[in-house]
Amino acid sequence: MSATSLSTRSGTRQRHLSDRAIINLFIWPSLILLIVVNVFPLIYSLYLSFTDYSAIAHKAPVWVGLKNFADLLSDERMWKYFATSGRYTLVSVGLQTVLGFGLAMLLREKFRGSGLVTTLILIPMMISPVVVGLFWKLMYNPTFGYFNYLIGFPNPITGPDMLASSFARKAVPGLALWAVALVDVWMWTPFVMLLVLSGLKAIPDYLYEAAAIDRASSWFQFWRITVPQVAPLLMIAVLFRTIEAFKSFDLVMGMTGGGPGDQTELIAVNLYRQAFLGQWQTGRSSALAYIILIIIIAVSNLYILYLNRMRGEA
Amino acid sequence: MAEFAKTGPSKPVVEAIRVDKVTPGYRLVNNVRALIVILLAVVGLIPVFVMIMTAFKTRPDAISVPPKLIFTPSLEGLVFLLTERSAASPARLEQLRQAAEGEQLSLFDRIALNTGQEITGPSDYVFRLRNSLIIAGLSTIASVVLAVFSAYAFSRYNVKGKGDLLFFILSTRMLPAVVVTVPLFLMYTQLKLHDTHLGMIILYTVFNLSLAVWLMKGFFDEIPREYEEAALVDGYTRMQAFFKIVLPQAVTGIAATTVFCLIFAWNEYAFALMLTSEKARTAPPSIATMLGIGGIEWTAIAAGSLGFLIPVVIVTFALRNYLLRGVTFGAVRK
Amino acid sequence: MAKIELQKVEKKFGELHAVKPMDLTINDGEFVVLLGPSGCGKTTTLRMISGLETVTGGKILLDGRDVTWLHPSERDIAFVFQFYALYPHISARDNIAFPLRAQGESRHAVEQRVKEVSALLRIEHLLDQRPGKLSGGDQQRIALARALVRKPAAFLMDEPLGALDADLRETMRAEIKRLHIDQHATTVYVTHDQIEAMAMGDRIVVMSEALVQQIGPPAEVYYDPANLFVAKFIGSPGMNLVSAVYQDGVARIPGTENRCRVPAEWQPAVQSALQGEPEIILGFRPEAAHLEPSGELSGEVYATELQGAYAVLHVNVNTSEIVHIRTDRLIDYAIGETVRFSIDPKMVRFFNPKTELAISRQRSS
Repeated sequence: MSATSLSTRSGTRQRHLSDRAIINLFIWPSLILLIVVNVFPLIYSLYLSFTDYSAIAHKAPVWVGLKNFADLLSDERMWKYFATSGRYTLVSVGLQTVLGFGLAMLLREKFRGSGLVTTLILIPMMISPVVVGLFWKLMYNPTFGYFNYLIGFPNPITGPDMLASSFARKAVPGLALWAVALVDVWMWTPFVMLLVLSGLKAIPDYLYEAAAIDRASSWFQFWRITVPQVAPLLMIAVLFRTIEAFKSFDLVMGMTGGGPGDQTELIAVNLYRQAFLGQWQTGRSSALAYIILIIIIAVSNLYILYLNRMRGEA
Repeated sequence: MAEFAKTGPSKPVVEAIRVDKVTPGYRLVNNVRALIVILLAVVGLIPVFVMIMTAFKTRPDAISVPPKLIFTPSLEGLVFLLTERSAASPARLEQLRQAAEGEQLSLFDRIALNTGQEITGPSDYVFRLRNSLIIAGLSTIASVVLAVFSAYAFSRYNVKGKGDLLFFILSTRMLPAVVVTVPLFLMYTQLKLHDTHLGMIILYTVFNLSLAVWLMKGFFDEIPREYEEAALVDGYTRMQAFFKIVLPQAVTGIAATTVFCLIFAWNEYAFALMLTSEKARTAPPSIATMLGIGGIEWTAIAAGSLGFLIPVVIVTFALRNYLLRGVTFGAVRK
Repeated sequence: MAKIELQKVEKKFGELHAVKPMDLTINDGEFVVLLGPSGCGKTTTLRMISGLETVTGGKILLDGRDVTWLHPSERDIAFVFQFYALYPHISARDNIAFPLRAQGESRHAVEQRVKEVSALLRIEHLLDQRPGKLSGGDQQRIALARALVRKPAAFLMDEPLGALDADLRETMRAEIKRLHIDQHATTVYVTHDQIEAMAMGDRIVVMSEALVQQIGPPAEVYYDPANLFVAKFIGSPGMNLVSAVYQDGVARIPGTENRCRVPAEWQPAVQSALQGEPEIILGFRPEAAHLEPSGELSGEVYATELQGAYAVLHVNVNTSEIVHIRTDRLIDYAIGETVRFSIDPKMVRFFNPKTELAISRQRSS
C-alpha cells in the first residue's frame, strides 16, 4: 500500500544479516565439503605420479621423480590417443551444441504437449552410460542390430559394420570413432537443450515487448536480445560437456573397449588400461591423469576467459 | 490477415498473450515448429523403443536375424532381473516337458522350460533399487541446496578471489574418475565410510556440486538485479529479498539443476562399483553385468534399465512445468 | 496527438475476470492515471491499449481507428516499462535511436532527434554507455528518451517510477509531468501510489478488483469519492469512515454521545437513499475535523503522529472505531486525553453501507 502515516519507510535500510555474514554463510559450507573430500585424493594421486607404485605388487612406492611423465610424453602412442580424444571431443561437443540449441529454440513457445515432448527428449540422457553403450553395441551389430536395418542395409555383407570400421567388408578407418561420437551426441544433446531452454525461458519478457513496440526485426531480437542473454549459459553447458567428453570412458568401454585396434582408444580408456587391466601401473597412470588434468585446466581457462568477456560486455 | 486486423480471432482470447501472437500467420509457424520437434523426438527415441521392445522379448527374439519388430511379448526379461537362477538339470527339464503336455504350466515353470534355467530365489535388484533411491535422492537435495546458496553469493557479491574459487569448484570434476577411485577407496576404508549410504551421499553431493554451482550461478546472473534492488528500496532485508523475490524466479534453473544432479547420481557406476559391496550397493553396477548362463542377458538388461529409468522419468515429468516456466515479471510490491 | 477510446474492453484469464467490461475516453493531450492496488486490472488495461495483451472483448480506438487487433508497433504508441526494458548490450544512444532506425529514418534525422531528446532529459553525458551499469534513475530517463524519440500519438507508462528510490521518485515525477506539458502528449499512466496519481493526473481512473470505481479529476476523486473504496484509498491517511445511525436529521455514533448534524441540503438525499434503514456511514477527511472545546463529537486520544508540517491525532470515537484528525503540530496531546471536535459541514460526506456508494447531494442515488 502507499505510504501510510505509520510507515517507517524513509530510505534507511535495515539489514539483519550483514552482507559479509551472508557471503560466509552461503559459501563456506560448499567449499569446506569440497576441500575435505577432494584434497586427499588429489594429493595422494599427485604423490603416486612421482613413484613407480603398482597397486598389486607387494612393495612400497619408490620415488622416480619425473620418469613417468617423461615416459608418457615421449610415447608416440600417447600423443595418438590424445589426438583421438581431441577429435572425438571436438566433433561430439560441436554437434551437441548446434543440435541442442536448435531444439531449445524450437521448444521455446508452448504448444500442446510440449511438456511431455521435452521430458521424452531428455530420456537418452537419463539412461546409464554403460547401458547406453551396451545397447548401441547391440544396435550397431551388422547381423541382428537395428541400425543397419533402419538405414537400409539389412545385409551384413553389403552394409557397414560401424564398430569394426568397415563397410561391405572393406576397412573404413576411423568409422568406429564417429560411431561412438554419434552415440555421445545422441546421449548428451538433451543436456545442452535443457540448459539453453531454461536460459531462454529466463529472459525477461519485457525486453521482447519493448522490441515488439519498436518494431524490431526477428533478426535483431535474436542477435541482440536472445543470444547475449543465453550465451553465458550455453558456454557453461559447452564447458562441462567438453570436460566430460574428454574424460569419456563408460560409453566407449561398453561399446568397443578401445577397438578396433586402437581407433577408439580414448585417453581415459588407455588410462584405465594402464591403471588396472593387467598393467596395474598405478604410479604411471596417476601421472597420466595429471597430464590429462593439466590439459583440461588449460582448455577450461580458455573457455572461462571467453565466458567472462561475454559477461563483461553485458 | 487483413480479416484478422478487423475482426480478431474466431474465439475470445482468455490467456495472457500478445496481439501479434494470435495472428493466423504466427499460429501456423508455431504449429510447424511443434511438428518438427515431435518428428525429431520420435526419431531420436528409436533406440529407446528398441530397448523397451527388448525388455519384453524372449531371449532368441532379442537377437534374431533380421531384427524383429513384431514379436510375442514375454516377461522373461523381468523375471531374469528379479531372480537368481541356475541351470536346470536335464532330468528336471524332462519332467517339465512331460508336464507341459498334460496341463498348463505356471509362469516360472514355463520360463524354466524355455530357457533351461531354474529359478532359485529373488535377486538383489529391489534392494539395490532402494539404495539408489536413498543415495541419489538425498545427495541431489544436498547438492542443489548448497549450490543455490553459494551460487547466489557468487552472483551478487564481489567475493574475494571469486574467479579462483569458482575455478577450484570446477576443477573438482576434472580428474578422471579412474584415478580418483584408488585414493578414495583408501580414504573411505580408513574413515569407515566404505559401503555406507553416508559415504556415497557425501561423494555424490561433492561431485555434483561443481556442476550445480556453475549452473545456478549462470541462472542467477540472468535474473535482473532490479528486482532485489526495488525490494531493498522498499525495506526488505537481503535475506527476505532472496527468499521472496529471487528464489521464485530461479525455479526454472533449480528444476534443471535438480534433474541433472539426480541423473548423474542415479546412473553413477564407477564409484558405486568400487566403493560399495553389500549394504550400500546401488543398481547400476548390477544391471550392466547381468550375466546369465550363456552370455549377456539382453532381455534382463533391457528390463532392468527400463525399470531403473522410470523413477527418473517420473521425477522429470513431475518437474516439467517448472522446467518450462517462463518467468512473469509483474510489479514487485509488498 | 490522439484520443483513445475503450469500448466495453474486458479481459479474462480462463474464468478469472481481470478487467470487467469498461468504457473510457481519454482526450487528446490528457494525462490520465489508472490507479489502484495490485491486482486491480490497471496494468492489464494499459497493456491491452498497447497491444501487449489481447482483449477478451470490446474495442480499442485510437483517433477513431480500430486498433484492437493491430500489432503493437502499428498503434503509434510508446511504452515505458517499470524495469526500463532497455536493450542491454547496446549503448544508450543506440537504445534511443532504435525506434527511429527501425522505421527507416535517415541517419541525419535520427542524430538530430536523439540529440534533442537527450538534451530534454539531460542525459547527453550518458549516451555512449551501456545501460547495465547505470543507476535506475538514469536508465529510466533513457527509457523515456526512447519513448519520446518517435513522437508517438500516445505515451503509455507502467509504474515507471516503481523501481526507484523515494527521493528520485519525486524528482522524476515532476520531470514526467513537465515533459507532458511540453509535448502536449496524451499519456496513460499506471500507478498504485495515490499521491503520485493526485499529483500528476488530469483525470484519475480509480480501479479495484477488475472494476472502475470512479473516473474524475483529482479534486473530484478527493472531495467527492464515489464509494467507500475510493474514499479510503485516496488520501493519506484515507477518509475517516464511521458507522452511524441516522435519525431525524442527525447521525449518531451508537454506543456514545457523539452526533453529527446532517446539513439541511443533504437531508433529502440521505433520506431517499436510506429508504427507512437507519444505518449510514459518516465520512470526513482528517483536515475536515477541527478540534474545539465546543465540538459535537468527542473521543479519547489513542496515538499521535508528527507528519512534518502538521500532526495527526488518532482518536477513539467509540469502542472500535478510530478516526484521524489533523492538528497543529505544536500542540501536544496526551494519550488517553479526551478531546472534542467538530466536522466542517461543507466537507462532510455520507455513504450507504449496504451499497457502499456515496450518497450524492443531488436526489439520485
